[in-house]
Amino acid sequence: MKKIIVAEKVVKSFGADGQCRKVLDNVSLTVYEGQFISVMGPSGSGKSTLMFCLSGMDKIDSGRVIFDGKVLSDLKEKEFADIRRNEMGFVFQQPTLLKNLNILDNIILSSMKDLNKNKEQIIKKAQKLMKKLGISELEKRDITQASGGQLQRAGICRALMNNPKIIFADEPTGALNSKSAEEIMDIFDNINKEGTTIMLVTHDAKVAARTERILFIKDGKIVSELKLPKYEGKNMEERLEKVTDAMLELGI
Amino acid sequence: MYLKIIRNDITKSKLITVITVLFISAAALLISLGAVLAVNLLGAVDTLMTQGKAPHFLQMHSGDIDLKRLEQFARENDKVDEFQVLEFLNLDGEKIQFEDMTLRDSVQDNGFTIQSKKFDYLIDLEGKVIQPVKGELYVPVSYMKENITKLGETVKICGKEFIVAGFLRDSQMNSSLCLSKRFLISEEDYQEIKNDGNVEYLIEFRLKDLSDLAEFENEYIAAGLESNGPVITYPVFKIINGLSDGIMIALILLVSILVILIAFMCIHFTLLAKIEEDYREIGVMKAIGLYVSDIKKFFLAKYILISAAGCLAGFFLSFFFREPLLYNIRLYMGESPKSHLSLYVAIIGVVFVFYTILTYVKKILNRFKRISPSDAIGFGVSKEKTKYVKYFLLSRSKLPEINLFLGINDVLSKKKLYLTMFMVFVISNFIMIVPQNLHQTVSSKNFIKYMGIGASDIRIDIQQLEDIHAKSMEIIKRIKEDQTIKKYAVFTTKAYRLIHSEGQEEILKVELGDHTLFPIEYAKGHPPMTENEIALSVIKAEELNKNLGDSISLLIDGNEKSFEVCGIYSDVTNGGKTAKANFRDDNTDTMWVIIQLELSDKTLLSEKTQEYAQAFPFAKISGIDAYIGQTFGQLIHSVRIASLVSVGVAAFLSILITLLFMKMLITKDRYAIALMKSLGFNNTDIKFQYLFRSLFVLFISIIIGTILANTLGELMAGAALSYFGASYFKFEINYLKAYLLYPLLLMCCVITGTIIGSLRAGEIEISESIKE
Repeated sequence: MKKIIVAEKVVKSFGADGQCRKVLDNVSLTVYEGQFISVMGPSGSGKSTLMFCLSGMDKIDSGRVIFDGKVLSDLKEKEFADIRRNEMGFVFQQPTLLKNLNILDNIILSSMKDLNKNKEQIIKKAQKLMKKLGISELEKRDITQASGGQLQRAGICRALMNNPKIIFADEPTGALNSKSAEEIMDIFDNINKEGTTIMLVTHDAKVAARTERILFIKDGKIVSELKLPKYEGKNMEERLEKVTDAMLELGI
Repeated sequence: MYLKIIRNDITKSKLITVITVLFISAAALLISLGAVLAVNLLGAVDTLMTQGKAPHFLQMHSGDIDLKRLEQFARENDKVDEFQVLEFLNLDGEKIQFEDMTLRDSVQDNGFTIQSKKFDYLIDLEGKVIQPVKGELYVPVSYMKENITKLGETVKICGKEFIVAGFLRDSQMNSSLCLSKRFLISEEDYQEIKNDGNVEYLIEFRLKDLSDLAEFENEYIAAGLESNGPVITYPVFKIINGLSDGIMIALILLVSILVILIAFMCIHFTLLAKIEEDYREIGVMKAIGLYVSDIKKFFLAKYILISAAGCLAGFFLSFFFREPLLYNIRLYMGESPKSHLSLYVAIIGVVFVFYTILTYVKKILNRFKRISPSDAIGFGVSKEKTKYVKYFLLSRSKLPEINLFLGINDVLSKKKLYLTMFMVFVISNFIMIVPQNLHQTVSSKNFIKYMGIGASDIRIDIQQLEDIHAKSMEIIKRIKEDQTIKKYAVFTTKAYRLIHSEGQEEILKVELGDHTLFPIEYAKGHPPMTENEIALSVIKAEELNKNLGDSISLLIDGNEKSFEVCGIYSDVTNGGKTAKANFRDDNTDTMWVIIQLELSDKTLLSEKTQEYAQAFPFAKISGIDAYIGQTFGQLIHSVRIASLVSVGVAAFLSILITLLFMKMLITKDRYAIALMKSLGFNNTDIKFQYLFRSLFVLFISIIIGTILANTLGELMAGAALSYFGASYFKFEINYLKAYLLYPLLLMCCVITGTIIGSLRAGEIEISESIKE
């Protein structure tokens, strides 16, 4: 399998010189293409920071992150922006859409950057994705006229627009009720089956149990890893038990 | 604790704090200067009028005078307190020879007089009544200011030598706006030169009660006394004396208000940015139960310090600027008896600035009331009302650039937020274009048409002579033979009795001739074409309450004749009360003649001017450019300076406000910026979005500003110029400057401001701004 992300001895600290706090402490990790990974850990353990550092949204203090063969810290700002736009997709905990655009415009936003000529195709693609994710009727709505779950779906549509190699999701179900959360996870499952690598951060054992590789992080270090077969809609209870056992063992 | 907070805050935003302090001190400086100058000016004008005992009613008169009849009128009129007739010996400028120059080119009527016995004294710079001895000459103070002569210099007047023994203040003719100047000599000398010039009379009255003035004026006219010349009254002297310094004070106060507004904007933007930055902290403080008034104190403390520092600095600085600005008032009018008051007035002004600023800060801080603790802690950014714009969609946009779309979209969806920036740009554009257009207009040759003078190449004035008619015929004969003259017009001014419908009479000076040859601007109607038509100056038409189509009756050669008012024009000549007609009348005496010439070859101008000046020494021959230069030179110069200064101010203002506004926007938008960066927009994209936002606002502002400049600006400039007598006025526009160069300059400023202001826009850490 092809390596999509390789992290080597990544260190990241926050705070001023005097009161520096190490959030990531020599983390090394490899992510393979097509994997569905989740990161778990208690609050403040560094799980979101790990994801932000792997995606290059946070600068790291030392070590290096290689994305698809390119060392992120060597890239120029513009090259990096191009990678974020064309090869990565992001989904955040709160629905992050621009308030002054309607939902369709929010979804096509990043694709419009260099592809202004193929506008019709882009719009068609967005409409197709919206249909797939069940939010076709929202196309012309203002973002204040949609529910949290609907906005999160719109966010996912936007992340998928440029056919990214990987989707980073920071607690994508954190702000949703359990029904919506389950629907979102179904969507991620489908995307992953189509070949897109997914890495998500979560608190929720149920969410983690649907992924195939679970990284446990504590005090800035990956302390354990749980591997499960790909989720086929079966054995959920068994998978969940394994995850909760691992959590108990680690005191998370 | 406050001190620590303030210190931290100031070190974090040094540049903006310094700029704010500078503007506050400039406002305090200007307000206190304006106050000091106003107090001194009002006092000084009074002093001059009191020391000089200015007449309440002055009738200037040339021609025969019946002193006995005037004396009898004064004796019998119970309103008159004192009465006198002074002589004003009008000399040609070239008969007054200073060491370096003569007054040949002066547009002033220069006259000689002796010290008056009863009132209307000419006083020296110490405020004492001057008593010159033989051989001494006292020169109007404005000639000292213009460096035309100095103390002790020998001056030749009609070939006779005088020594400049001092300078004089004249409560009547002090101001440079007044076109006559009086020199003072001893009685003995006066008798010697009396035959070299023309004597005009100043018929002067002081009344027992000044409030009877209007009534007295009517009685004087009704008595049919000498009235061949303008009438000037006490209130007019007062206004003329205070006008030029008054305009300066008004300008200073106006600018100070502008500066306070800029200070407000600096505070507005920095404070809003600060509130955005500290949004979460404010929410927390509210959540733990601090009163809004307590939280406000943290923010207010800094501004109390900043305003106090600015106001004190401005106040003390005003002591340094005060003296040079007061120099002019002191020189022309002397010391004000109330000058001690000025310190108090200045302090009141500065305290006013201080309180205005703090009130403004408090008003902004009222926003705290609207911050909901839960939102603030939850989101950390204010939930501003932003609506997406239904008519401007990305999916339907035809714009070639997504950043252009996003820039315009942001402005359209947050119109209220961009309003301040829009207004600043409109004002900047306005203050760039209006003074420029005004300058273009007043310096154009056509401008004098608004002043009641037709545009020609050479103007010949024949006045104050015996047998004007014969002398003008002499000149006309020469003109007729002169091949280089393309066209000419002769205007003869005669005085007629105007008969009111109630039977009263007054004198109306009518300029006769063909007024279509060198036309002036008519506010309404057209020049007189037929013998039965008459055109009136705006002031005269208002005074007579006449409009187009109305008729007026004149007594011509003993017969009453009716005229139809065919036109109304603005005029500054002869006190602005004139009339123009085109009929023949050989029987009435001519007061003066003006001949206007247009040359077929303009390069001959100076040659022809000299040629005619030599051939006809009795006439005053001036090239129209020189005439404009001397009459309006000062005005044109001031407008030019004003227009340069306002371009500078507008440029500076637009850079500063753009910069501050961009900094505020970027603090406000950090969440949206982070989001866009996560979607793959690079720093250049983000910067371009900000640039497009400001350029879009600028674009609309330029359109609105230009429209306003040409409508409202024209009205305002017209109102300002009506001080000088031109009531009707239209801009002459330098299209290249007004519509291309200045908008381009403004654009450069805005681009500079945006680039500096959004320098750090891309450097936002995505994770910090977006992470929960």
